[in-house]
Formats: sequence, structure tokens, C-alpha cells
Amino acid sequence: MKKYVKKPSMHETQRYVCGGLRGRPGRKYGVIYQSVLLENLQYAANLAMGFFSYFVFIYIFIRLWNYMYQAPRELIAGYAKEQMIWYVMMTEMIWFGSDSGALTRQVITDIRGGNIAYMMNKPYHYTLYILAKYTGEWSIRLPMYALLATVIGTCMVGGIPGFRVMLLPVMTLCVVLGITINAVFKICISLFSFRIEDATPFLWLYDKLILVVGTVFPIEIFPEELQVLFKLTPIYTVCYGPAKLVVDFSAGKCIEILSAQILYLAAGCGLMFWIYGKGVRKLYVNGG
Amino acid sequence: MSTAVKNQVRVCLLSVKYNIMREMVNPVTFVTNILFMMLNNATILVQWFILFRLRGEIGGYTMKDVMLLWGLTASSFGLSKVLFARVFSLSELIISGKLDSYLVQPKNVCLSVLTSATSTASIGDFLYGLVLMAFSGFSVGRLVLFLLFTVTGTVIFVAFTLLLGSLSFWFVRAEMAGGQMVSGMISFMTYPDGIFRGISRFLLYFLIPVGMAVWQPVHIMAAFSGIADNGMGVGAAGQSLQSGLAALLTVAGYAIALMSFAVFVFYRGLRRYASSSLMEARM
Amino acid sequence: MHAIEVENLSKTFQVRIKEKGMRGSIGALLHPQIRQIKAVDQVSFAVEEGEMLAFIGPNGAGKSTTIKMLTGILCPDGGSVRVRGLDPVKRRKQLAYQIGTVFGQKEQLWTHLTPYDNFRFFGAIYDIPDRETEERIGELAERFALEAFINTPVRNLSLGQRIRCEIVASLIHKPGVLFLDEPTIGLDPVVKENIRGLIRQMNREYHTTILLTSHDVGDIEKLCRRIIIMNAGQIVLDDSMEHLKQYYLSGERREQERNGEIQVHGSHARLHRHEDAESVDSSSMSLEDIIMEIYRAEGRTEVI
Repeated sequence: MKKYVKKPSMHETQRYVCGGLRGRPGRKYGVIYQSVLLENLQYAANLAMGFFSYFVFIYIFIRLWNYMYQAPRELIAGYAKEQMIWYVMMTEMIWFGSDSGALTRQVITDIRGGNIAYMMNKPYHYTLYILAKYTGEWSIRLPMYALLATVIGTCMVGGIPGFRVMLLPVMTLCVVLGITINAVFKICISLFSFRIEDATPFLWLYDKLILVVGTVFPIEIFPEELQVLFKLTPIYTVCYGPAKLVVDFSAGKCIEILSAQILYLAAGCGLMFWIYGKGVRKLYVNGG
Repeated sequence: MSTAVKNQVRVCLLSVKYNIMREMVNPVTFVTNILFMMLNNATILVQWFILFRLRGEIGGYTMKDVMLLWGLTASSFGLSKVLFARVFSLSELIISGKLDSYLVQPKNVCLSVLTSATSTASIGDFLYGLVLMAFSGFSVGRLVLFLLFTVTGTVIFVAFTLLLGSLSFWFVRAEMAGGQMVSGMISFMTYPDGIFRGISRFLLYFLIPVGMAVWQPVHIMAAFSGIADNGMGVGAAGQSLQSGLAALLTVAGYAIALMSFAVFVFYRGLRRYASSSLMEARM
Repeated sequence: MHAIEVENLSKTFQVRIKEKGMRGSIGALLHPQIRQIKAVDQVSFAVEEGEMLAFIGPNGAGKSTTIKMLTGILCPDGGSVRVRGLDPVKRRKQLAYQIGTVFGQKEQLWTHLTPYDNFRFFGAIYDIPDRETEERIGELAERFALEAFINTPVRNLSLGQRIRCEIVASLIHKPGVLFLDEPTIGLDPVVKENIRGLIRQMNREYHTTILLTSHDVGDIEKLCRRIIIMNAGQIVLDDSMEHLKQYYLSGERREQERNGEIQVHGSHARLHRHEDAESVDSSSMSLEDIIMEIYRAEGRTEVI
């Protein structure tokens, strides 16, 4: 059903683009963003259904950590029970809030189905189009999950020790950067479909890496040797970083994480443009 | 009657065979998908290694029990998606009016629909389950029990999904709710029941059929091994063979009852489909 | 016994109305407005065994709904249906063995399999023993010239070949009645002619009753001797093809005679008649024009 709704918005976008906005290249991504945002508002009620899954997940973890922590004041890997649960809530909030079809399926479907041939002649850069579309999708969903997390956390876990509302803008920035870096990496992987028949298995693996290693536990819980390794993967910037800042803020950590994120974003975008460029050239040669 | 059943089974098997043949058109993709699915599943074990580093038992489960739990979940889920993959997209079929072509066939609509798709990658899930079972302690007896419980697990899983999918006959929005419930069920299935207490435990046995699908089977199998070698873990409590058999029959009975109910609801919905107030969605 | 008997068949749908935009969506959520649409309204007709009948009408006229009720997919709100003496709702399964369906826009073949494997599958669906299926496939393949591509996967066939196979697949179980819903949609003229030949042959050799819907006047003109035109859920015309043309013209003529003068309308065909009314033969006016006139007379060229 969604598919049909999407069509007019794309035409609209095109009309705008052709209708004299050529001078402001950034604008078209804004319009793509806007139209998807509006469309998703209609589905906001539907999206709330995802709350159920989130709740189930968090509920299981609350039960699990309640079982794991035997004494109330115990610390595991330097985290108190409340911090540990809030950590999972934050990473899962990012995970659920930013989960999207535009990112997991569309690029691969576009490439495999040959749709890409039409998309790349449009007056926008395909990867940025996907990114803008994706941003439109999560920016309605994430706040809802944030609200849910706050409610569940307050009711079932208790507040985060040492949390300061003042720092919320920095934390938000860190979350947004994390989600965007994640998206850029996922687009990169999806673009592999230019070369191999189906990149879906690689997306799975990436998702699993983030999900298993990044969302469930803080990095500190792993053996020392692995910790070093994980700090080099996107896990560090995508989910560990933002969640760490929320449950255990320190100025030093904050600077460290934010600069790592900016570095990752720049490198990721470079990679994305490069792979896309190569893929498109290949397409021209082979004629789709 | 028996020829009708035979014919029905013949069509279902052909359907599955043809679906697998379709995937086999590209054997490399076929095998990679299966292997990736297994690898994908294996990553989750990381979580459990970490957790068991922190504590020797979780909710009464040892690492081996958790592996059995995971194995059973993976195999049941895998078998469901190999044989009855369409049940997972039933809502979509109903809403877009695609049941029509099954209605003009002289076959059992429910079975024809459910078997009309196959997710071959899920063969990986099924195999992965077997591998995990082997790691959790292999014996022929355990293998037989494991396969038996994979079947009951599949029946329960498909029945539950069918039940939720059939709600789309009445509510268009049920599509999402059903999907969420099913993934919720999988989430619960992969954690030891010992960490849940009180009402949630009760609900997981009776509202979302997790208990009968995997927890109870894991207990029965552990008890079975416990009788054999008096090990530790879930089976340490030790049960007699009779009570184990009774528990086994309870699981089987539950699976049959749930499936009957789901099929009943499906056909009630189908009657509604035929009188079609769903037309708004289809026009 | 008639192959199909329909009496006062009716079907009403409830459609929820939603206004445009966000406000509309919210409004629809708060006060859902429901409109009743009579998709099929008191329709009656009968089809003889072995007859080829065209069932036409503009989009949304109720053709598909009627066919769905005839095949047991939808159950009617009122009236009665008998297809080969069976009630499609109550005896859906029994009926399924006796009817075949081809929906031009919906594929029923498995595209990765060869036509041969597909036919085997359909044989299994209709409980035909393997040996019998085998014989039947041989016969159909020979009769409808499928041998050249019967072992090529369907996805590698041309559209025309594929539709041929779709139609032949629906014949595996020797249905007495065949429903063809726009079988020639999207085909080029040569292939269309080819498919028409197949349909004609099927009707002739197996005495299959055929109910055909199409927007292609050529299909109707070349295949059917009888035509039913539906519009807005009602039958506006049910007559033989020959009569249709004669009736239409003579009706015009009577009107002209009554008025004592010949009126000039915009239509080309009528202008022609103005010069010499007596010499007009039905061939000078295309069926397409006639059908358009009938739709127009009902005041609904564009529906929904």
C-alpha cells in the first residue's frame, strides 16, 4: 500500500526540482525529506506497533539483568544495573528507531530490479536521495522511541545515575551522527549488489555485528583484546558511543566519540560515493 | 477421503519441490544463502558466551541448555519457513485479494496457500538447529526427541502465525500487529524461561505459546538426559519416564489444539473474504 | 441444462471515503464515511453449453465482480447462480473441477518451471493420475502447437507463448466452462490473432463453454456470436453480435422515420447514412463505435 502513496511524492519532487530550484542543489534533498516525512506522519499510528517489539526486547533484558545482578550495588564491567539496562534501551532505541525499508531493501531492489537505471538520470545523487528519504523516515520514528524508552525506563528501571538534562543536545547530536554513519555504511554494503547478485547476506552480517556486539552489551564487558578491535569498527560510533554518553557522560569521552564519529562519517561518505561511481560506470558499460 | 488427503499431500509436496527448484536455478546463491543464514544465527551465540562468562547458570539453564533452546527455536522456525513460508505473508495476500487463485482450485485453500512459498535460506536455520543440538550433547534418543519437538514447534509456530495473519480478514491493520507478535514470540523463545516470573511466565505459556513450543520441550529433553546420566542444569531435578511421556503428549496435544483453532479462524475469515467487505482495499 | 444460469445477481460493496491530505486521513479516522456501491445490480442471464459469450463494459462496470461470483471467489448478496448446475459458493470445490480460469493480468504459471512441469502441477491439483496427465499434455501440446517450447522455462517464453501456456494449463482438467478475463491484454496484433485462434479451436474441439471479457473489440467481434454489455452494475444489452449491429442501426432508422427527417449527428457513420440511409450496412460502422455509443447512451464512459 505504501508503494502507491510514494509515487506521487516523487513526481512532486521532480516537479519542484525542474521548476526553478536548480540554483539550490541542497534544496531537493530537503524536499525529498519533507515529502517522506509527511507520508510517514500518516503511518505514525502504524509505526507505534513497533513499540511492542521494542517493549518485548527491553522487557526481556530487564528480566535478564535482574537475574544477572545478584546484589543491588553490584557493578558488572563498571556498570550498575540501571546503567546496564539504560544502555540496552538506548542502543535498541537507535536500532528500532532507525530501522527502515528504504535502507535495508530499496537499494538492493533498485539495483537488482534495474530501477537504478532510471533513478541515476534524475537530477539528484541517488545515494543522497536514499539518505534523505531515510532521514525522513527515522526522524519521525526515533523521537517516539525516545519517548517510549523514557517512559519504560522511568517506570520499570529508575532514573540514570548522574544524568543531566543540560547535556541532552550533545547526546542527541551524537545519536543523529551514529544513525547517519550506520546508514552510510549500509548503503555502501547495499551497493555491492552492483558486483554480486545479492548483497542481502552482507547486510545481515553487518546488522548482526551491530546488534550482537553493539547493542546488547557495552564494549567494556568483552575481553580486553576484543575491546580494542571493536573500537575500530562502526559499532563504536554507531551505538556504543551515543549510548555510553547517555548512561555515563564525561567530557573526555564526549570529545573522543564525537571526533571519531566525524572521521567515520567523512570516510564512509567517501567510500559510498566511490562505490556508487564505480557501480554506475559498470552499468553504463554493460547497459544494465 | 483418504485419496483426497493423498492428493492434497501430493500437491503440497510438489509445491515445495517446485519452490526449491526455483531457488536451485542459481545454486551458488542457494548455498550462500543457507550458509549465511547459519553464520548469521551463530553470531548470537556470542551474547551467550559473554553472559555465561558472568555467571555459570542463567535462569536455571547452562550453556548447553541454551544451545538446545536455540537449536529448537531455529529448527522449528526454519522448518516453518521451508514448508509454510506463506503464512508469514498471509496478511498481505488477504489484503491485496490474492487468495482468488487458490479459491478456484479444488484443493484445501488453507494448505494450498501456506505451502505456496518456500524460504530456502531457512534450510540454514533448520540445519543450524541440528548442529546446535549435536553440540548440546548428542545421542540418538535426543535426536529423535529433538526432531519430534521440531515438528510440534513448527505446528505451534505456524498455527500462531496463521491465527494472527487471519485477523487481516477483519482488520487491515492487523498485518503489522501480527508481524510484531510473531517476532516477539521469537524473542522470548530464545531466552531461558527461568528469568521470567509470575504473570509474564503465565502469559508466555498461554497467550503467546512460547512455553509449549520450546521451553517445555527443553525441560523434557533435559530430563531425558538427566535420567540417562544424571547431569546438571535443567534436567537436574530429575523426572520419571512416565511424567516425561505425559509432558510430551501435552505438548503434542497443545500443538494440535492450537492448529485446529487457527484453521477454524482462517476459514471463518475466508467466508468474510468471499462476502468481501475488504473490497475497499482491493479496488 | 444451461452451462451458466444467473438470476437477479447482486453484490454491494462498502467503500470508505477519505478526503485528500492529512486532514482527510484524520477525519476518516474520527468519522468514517461509508458509501455503498452496487457493483452488480439485479443481473440475469443464461449461457448455453458450448456457447462463446463476450462480456464487456467499461472499467468498474462489474464484469470482474460477476466473474468472481460465478467462480466461487465472491459470494453474492442476492440472487442465484448456477454453473453447470452447481452453486459456486456451496459447491466451490466440486465446481473447481469443472471450470477453468485465465486472468490475463495474473500469472498462474510458475515462471521458473517449464510449461511441461507446470502442466504436471496442475494435473496434481486436479487429482489427475500422472499417466493421464502425461497423455493429456501430449494431446494438448500437439493440438495447440506447444511442442517447440514445452520444455523451456516459462520466464524465457515470449508473452504470446506464455499466454498460450496459461490458457492450455487451464484445460488440463477438461473444464466444461472456461472464464477468460482479458486474455489478450498487452499482446501485439499477430499474437492476439494467434490466441484467438486457440480459443476458437478450444471451443470447437472440446465444446467448451467460454465466457470472455475483453476491452479489445477485435476479440469480441472475431470470437463471439453473443455479447453482454454491462455498465454500472447492470446489463444494458444482451444480444447476438449480428442483432447488435442491425438493431442499433434499425433503431436509429425508426427514430429517423418517426421524426420525418434525417438528423445529422456528429458521428462519421451517421453522416454517411445521411446520404443514403437504405444502403447502410452494418459493416460501415465499426463495432467499437457501436459499443462506444451504448456506453455513452448510459451516460457513463468513465466510471470510477
